[in-house]
This record gives sequence, C-alpha cells and structure tokens, in this order.
Amino acid sequence: MASGLRTWLGIAAGALMLAALFMVFVYVPTEAEEGIVQRIFYFHVPIAWVTFAAFGLVAISGVFYLWMRQQVWDELGYAAAETGMVFCTLMLVTGSIWAKPIWGTWWTWDSRLTTCLILWLLYGGYLVLRVLADDTPETARLAAVVGIVGALDVPIIIVSVRLWRTIHPAVLVTRQGSHGLEDPRMIATLLVAMAAFTAFFCWLLWLRFATLRAGARVARLKLRLALAAAGD
Amino acid sequence: MPAAIVEARQLAMNFGATPVLRAVDLRVEAGRGAIVTGGNGAGKSTLLKLLAGLNSPSHGHALLFGTEARRLAAGQRRRVGLMTHQSFLYPNLTARENLEFYASLYELRSPRDAAERWLGRVGLAAASGERVRALSRGMEQRLSAARAMIHEPDALLMDEPFAGLDSGGVSILASLIKEAIARKSAVLMTAHGAPAIEGVELERFELERGCLAAPKAETRTGRLRSLLGG
Amino acid sequence: MAAMLAILRKDLRLELRSGLSTTALVSLSLLILVVLVFALPASVAGAEPAAGALWVAMIFSGMLGATRALSAERENGCIRALLQSPVDPATLYAAKLAAAFIFMAVAEIAAILMMVLFFNLDFDLRIIRLAPVILLGALGFAALATLLAAISGHTRASDLLLPMLAVPMFVPALIAGVKASAAALAGEPIAAMGAWIKILVAFDVLFVASGYLLFEFVAGED
Repeated sequence: MASGLRTWLGIAAGALMLAALFMVFVYVPTEAEEGIVQRIFYFHVPIAWVTFAAFGLVAISGVFYLWMRQQVWDELGYAAAETGMVFCTLMLVTGSIWAKPIWGTWWTWDSRLTTCLILWLLYGGYLVLRVLADDTPETARLAAVVGIVGALDVPIIIVSVRLWRTIHPAVLVTRQGSHGLEDPRMIATLLVAMAAFTAFFCWLLWLRFATLRAGARVARLKLRLALAAAGD
Repeated sequence: MPAAIVEARQLAMNFGATPVLRAVDLRVEAGRGAIVTGGNGAGKSTLLKLLAGLNSPSHGHALLFGTEARRLAAGQRRRVGLMTHQSFLYPNLTARENLEFYASLYELRSPRDAAERWLGRVGLAAASGERVRALSRGMEQRLSAARAMIHEPDALLMDEPFAGLDSGGVSILASLIKEAIARKSAVLMTAHGAPAIEGVELERFELERGCLAAPKAETRTGRLRSLLGG
Repeated sequence: MAAMLAILRKDLRLELRSGLSTTALVSLSLLILVVLVFALPASVAGAEPAAGALWVAMIFSGMLGATRALSAERENGCIRALLQSPVDPATLYAAKLAAAFIFMAVAEIAAILMMVLFFNLDFDLRIIRLAPVILLGALGFAALATLLAAISGHTRASDLLLPMLAVPMFVPALIAGVKASAAALAGEPIAAMGAWIKILVAFDVLFVASGYLLFEFVAGED
C-alpha cells in the first residue's frame, strides 16, 4: 500500500534527522576557524542540494508532461516546486544566519547567497503563475515550459554570478563546498545530514504530491456529480 | 458512405459543471452544406469552435478530414477556412493588405492577384485601400468572409456569417457559399434563424440546450430569406 | 521562411504606421534614465553607472514592448487566425522575436544617445564598441520576453507575472551585459570582455532555442 510505504519513509526520515541532529550538535568536532557557527554548514549544504534537485525535478516533470500529457507529471512538478520553495527559503535563512556572526551582516551579495536569491525568485515566479492561472491543461503546459526554461537558465546564472563576484570581490568570500573538511567525523556528519534531508524532502514531496492527486480526483468527482445533476 | 470532411462524434463540452453540448453527432461531406440553428446559448458557437479545433472537447471527437481538429498538420490546416464573430483582421492594415497577408500565409502562388480577385468578389474593390478600422461593419464582415475563403478551403466553417450584412452582402455571401459547395468543399455554418440559399440544399441541424433535434433537409426551391439576428 | 518574412513584414508595416511600440520604448527609456539621474548620487558620471542605467531602461521598456506586441495581436483575434493557418508556431515565434529585436535595437540607439548625454560621457568611438553588447542583450531579452509574454498573457495579472518571471531569468545576461557595456564605455579592449560576451552568447542561444522549441506549447488557447 503506497501510503504505508510513505509512512515508513517518514519514519526513516525522522530517524535520520534525529541522528543528524545528534551528530551535528554533539558528535562532530568544532571547526577551527569559524567556531560553533560552522555547524550550520551541515544543514545548509544538504538543503542546497535538495533545493537544486527539486528544481531539476520540476523541469524533468515538465518535459514528461509536455511529452506524455499525463496529469500525474504536472502534479509531480507542482508538488516539487512547492516543496522546493520551502527548502529554498530555508537555504536563504541558513545562509543568512551563517553570514551574520562571521561577517556582521544579515545579507551579503556573495555568489552563493545571490544565486540562492535568484533561484528563490524563479521558484516564486513559477508558483505565482500557478496561483494566478486556472487549473487547466493549458496552465500545466505553461508551468512546464517555465520550469524547463528556468532550469536551463540555472547553470548560466551560477556561472555569471560567480564571475561577477570574483571580478569585484565582495566584502567577504564564502567557503565553497566541502573545502576544509579534514576530520572524517565531519564527512560522516555531512553524509548523514545529506541522507536525512533527502529523505525528509522525499517524504514531504510525496505527501504534497498525494494531496494534489487526491484534490484533483475530488474535483473530477465533484464535476461528474454536478454534470449528472445538470443533465436531467 | 463517403468520408466526412467535417464530423462530430458524440461531441460533448462542459464549461465547468455546465454542460453546453451533449453527445452531438454530425457529418458534412464534400460538396454538401449544413447549417446549425438554435437560439442563444444553444451551443452553436461552441460546436463550431470545437470543430475548428479552437477548443478541446470534454468528450467525443471533433474531426476534420478524419483527424482530430486540434491536431491538424500544417498541410491540413491549409484546407480549412474559418469565420467567426472575431474578424481576424488587422485594423491598421488596409483591406488589400489584410487579404494579401493571409493569402501569403496560406501559401497561395500569387497573393496579390488573389487579394484583388476576392476584393472584387465581395464588392470591396473600391475600398481596397481603406484601413479596416475605417470600414463599416458590413464591409468588415464581407472582408472577413473573403479572408476565410481566399485559399479555397475544403472545409469552411462559419459562425453566423450573415449577421450584420445588408441584403447586398447577404446575396454576395450566399453566392460565395454556393460556389464553395460546387467546388466540393464542405460548408458548415451556424445561424439564429434559417436562411435558405437559392439552388443549394442545406442539411439543417437544430440545437437546443446542447442537444440535436433530428436533421431535416431544406427543399431545393427555398427562396432567399435572410433572418438577421434573433 | 516565407511565412516568417510575411509576418515580420506585417509587423514592421504596422509599426511604421502607428509608431506606437518604438515610441513607447523610447519614451519609457528616457523617463527611466531621468529617474535614475535623480535617484542616484549627485556625482554620478562615468562608464559604470551609465551602463547600469542603460540596461535598467532596456529591461523595463522591453517588457512593456513585449506586452503591447502581444495585445496588438489579440485585437480581433488575429493570433487565433495565425495559429489556425498552416504556419508553424515556431515560425510565428521567430517572426515575433525578430520584430521585438528590431524595435528594441532601434530604441536602444536613442537610449544610448540619451545615456551618453545624461551621464557626461564622450561622444566617441567607444560607443560603437557598445553596439555588439547591446545587440546581444536585446536579442536575448527579445527572445525571453516574447516567450514569457505569451505565457503570462494567459493569466489574469499578466503585467505582474511577466516581470516576476523575466527578471530572475534575465539576471545572467544583465550581469554580463552591464559589465561588458561598462568595459566598452571605459575603453577597455574586447579581450577583457571576453568572458562576459561568452555568457551573453550562451544566454542568447539558450533562449532563442528554447523559445523556438517551446512556443508551440504556450501559443494556443484552450
């Protein structure tokens, strides 16, 4: 039973998250340069990975929808966009929290945060389109195109923002990726955190997707009922 | 049975929870004319739009040349002519420029000549250099008909084509339709009342609240009688 | 191809008659430049702020142009007639893109002149160096805006949605364009702008191709 599997996924995500929390706050050693604040890294990186993955999923669903014209792809794309938006917001927040104690400002235009903001705006545009348009196959097509074009744009965005920042370096320069993870415990923690957030994302996505599917089914049934009533 | 050029098979359309068309069956073959009548809200325009491929039906099939109207290939679209309440004319282009433009879109060999010829046919030769925004309603309607027919389509779909025409316009349009049928096109039009076209047998379909009454054929000796509007 | 030229010719002819699109683009650019002069610090002059101001003007007037072009086609249902005709939606996109690009390019000439005036630059050959950058930018923006205008035109608040979608998507071209423009105005050699030009070209290729391939999914009406 699908929802049974989903429940197991939820439990697994919960367990992984607890493990991750333990590892981040207790197990992993404090990083030499940045101190305690650096622990946010173990949240920020998995969240970033999930955000980009969600974006990719929106685009891939879009491609499949335009190809197969089956509503399930449209619902998957919408669910991925909504869930991705949540994580994108978290990414902005964790990025900001990370910046503050180290550099003294809540916001900085370094390449990572800037890209994150643009991504957030792209997600936002997609969702506004969904909200403003009616629930029709036409809207599904439009959203699919927006998702695809947005995703294709992301690599160019990343490159251009990075170039922008290296030529005119900002006040601060953020660490890239896993630079500076010497201790194997750090790597382990990062991996567990990645697994935890991925599972958590998948579980949320599944929930949202199931809700959208159920909602569509209810709408169809309601319509059939109304039509049957009107027909007589 | 010869293949139908325009065909509706159990065609149904709902706008939300409101059924507008219910299981309509209709065929028009080459060289035949059909007219769909009915009051306001009977579903005539919806039926025509579905058959033209402008909308997707809720159920059933709208077919042109045996293919789903919404999925016509470019070559098939070339054989369809459409006239609706919207004129499809560019207000800031002249009558001639509009016809030349559409003639070239439909890949006619000599758009300019075709435009001249059709301007003459609809009685707009004198006004050919006028911008469409300066034309009267009746003239615009005639130009719109010319636009729909300039490429001599095999399927001609017209939504209330006689509305807004004076008696001169009506007879012009009637003769054009007669020519189209003689040329083996399939013609389907909608109207409020039932104009009869001299010398042409029109199959009549009546729509009432989305349902078809039984089809009746007009008699050959129908007099020209145009009922404008309701 | 012939169809694309026919549609383009039609759009150019309409524009020559009314002149509304280019006038709108030029006026809005002028107004934006004036606003920026007041809004920016009093001592602003020189290549960088000028380049920035020019691109701000380009983006916002470009969005206006795209919206107007679309609503002109909606009048009397002409867009429907175009889609009913044998013309490919992709060909229709190419024609619309070409028209938008031409109008933007013409408007940019005026905008560049105003920019040079307002930001106290010299009228010399460095402005010529600006041309390829601006043209690349205009092409990319025209490609983007033509596609997105068709998308947002289907919704209730199309004038809200178009900027919301267009601005984040245009960021790479904006960054590259402004930097390259500033470099051109400051007299730097082409080599220095190499990376930025590459980004602009990549952007243009992406959006022209995407628009061409995806327009058929957004053009119709259901």
